[in-house]
Amino acid sequence: MEKRFDLVLGALLLLCAVTLVGLLSGTGSQASQRDLRVDKALEQEIAYQAKVSFLERLYAPVINLRDSGQNESALLQLDELSRKYPDEAHGETLRGEILLQLGATQKAIGHLASAVRMNGDYVDKQSPLSRRGLIERLLASELTKFKQLAADNSASRSSQAALKDLYYLQGRLAGGCE
Amino acid sequence: MRLALRDPHTWFVMLAGSLLGLAGVMLAVLGNPQNSGICVSCFLENSAGALGLHNNARMQYLRPELIGFVLGSTLAAIGFREFSSKGGSAPLPRLLSGVFLIVGCSVFIGCPIKLFLRLTAGDLTTLTGLLGLVGGGWLGLKGLAAGVDLGRSSKKSDGSGFWTPLLFVMLLLFLFVRPGFVLFSERGSAAEAAPVLIALGIGLLLGAVAQRTRFCITGGIRDLMIMGTRAPLFWGFIVFVLVAFVAGLATGNFRPGFYGQPGAHLDMIWSFFGMLLVGSVSVLIGGCPFRQLIKAGEGDADAGLVVIGMFLGAGLVQAWQLAGTAAGVPLYGKIAVVIGLAFILLNLLFFRDRAVA
Repeated sequence: MEKRFDLVLGALLLLCAVTLVGLLSGTGSQASQRDLRVDKALEQEIAYQAKVSFLERLYAPVINLRDSGQNESALLQLDELSRKYPDEAHGETLRGEILLQLGATQKAIGHLASAVRMNGDYVDKQSPLSRRGLIERLLASELTKFKQLAADNSASRSSQAALKDLYYLQGRLAGGCE
Repeated sequence: MRLALRDPHTWFVMLAGSLLGLAGVMLAVLGNPQNSGICVSCFLENSAGALGLHNNARMQYLRPELIGFVLGSTLAAIGFREFSSKGGSAPLPRLLSGVFLIVGCSVFIGCPIKLFLRLTAGDLTTLTGLLGLVGGGWLGLKGLAAGVDLGRSSKKSDGSGFWTPLLFVMLLLFLFVRPGFVLFSERGSAAEAAPVLIALGIGLLLGAVAQRTRFCITGGIRDLMIMGTRAPLFWGFIVFVLVAFVAGLATGNFRPGFYGQPGAHLDMIWSFFGMLLVGSVSVLIGGCPFRQLIKAGEGDADAGLVVIGMFLGAGLVQAWQLAGTAAGVPLYGKIAVVIGLAFILLNLLFFRDRAVA
């Protein structure tokens, strides 16, 4: 009796194996395969691309003002947008870029670091949002300067905070697991 | 020391240590994230993301090395007739231990292997993590000496030891078939990876060697505390550190300092507590995350349950944003570590054979 039961179990297992092989090798109809396929990766990519184009559209007026040299107006426009979308990383990045152009380096560093803390895409080489080049240039020009200020004990609290942010950005550029 | 070096097993363990150190540096050179050539907790977080256990789009990749560790161990154990199903010791505490192992690792940003890869690359922020790991090992040992015992695993004839290797065979299939529900990051650290076949091959080799030698980082530290320099694992550990250091120097990856280190933060007190948790859990359950994978591969269903717990933990630390980042350790990450330490202390209280003490 037990032996017969084992045989039945063995046969059922074999049936499972054959079915699995059949399913994996695509013997089912193309249509049913399409129905079964849940391509989360594609959904994720579409959502990301949608986010990027939304950000481009949202901040287009700011970028236009900045490109036409109206940096102060661009900052006012950013203030307005940040009331509607507070703690939004792309706005922080743009604010950092504009402040850099205006020569307010310390503040710019803070905003850029804050943007990267919110979204690592800004230091990625592959991301369409990447500001890696800008951050590399910023580190090359400012890190030694702020280190020197700290070493001379002449650093204010705000420049100490900027140095901390520069170290953070340096760490993110260095890579590593997140 | 002389006694240890006369034993051929010690040399085999040292070979395992040197392979691990070399692979840890070279996998980063071949494409894995900087200082993360081998990091079991990072690999688990990546793999949990790939399986949809969290939705951090920058941390989703089925790491071939992880699959290689388990299946390499299985193949070696079967080949040398050491594969045997065993289990049945404190299943729920072991599952939760797996979760808290990953909580501790993620707050520190890395498993014990990565701690030393970071340290030998000059990352001085790991020093408090090292203190924590040693302190945790000491706490665990004190517990064991006081009679803490999770219970013995018993041999099983039901083949339960095959389930974890079979789970990893399924992951291997997913890696190559790539069904639509498995996610692979296009950005972030999970998009940085060594070529699949090389990573898998190295994983299989390390898994097999670690199965034969019982190599384990926390095991090396633990054995040093118990046996001093007579312990083979200690010598394997020393060789691992030396080889990683030399390989780091040779590949230009040695940059000593506290600042600007890859995958590191300056919340050093929490690095200490994170690794304190990892060290104490590891000693109590008989091995660090890497060793748990190897044991699961050789048929230990208890270790298999720890591995499932680690997967669960890897999903949770990302989904609940408990993991440390370069910006520091989030509040809920700190809370999770404190809960983990309370979990350990409660286990030290409850699983005591008071007659021993």
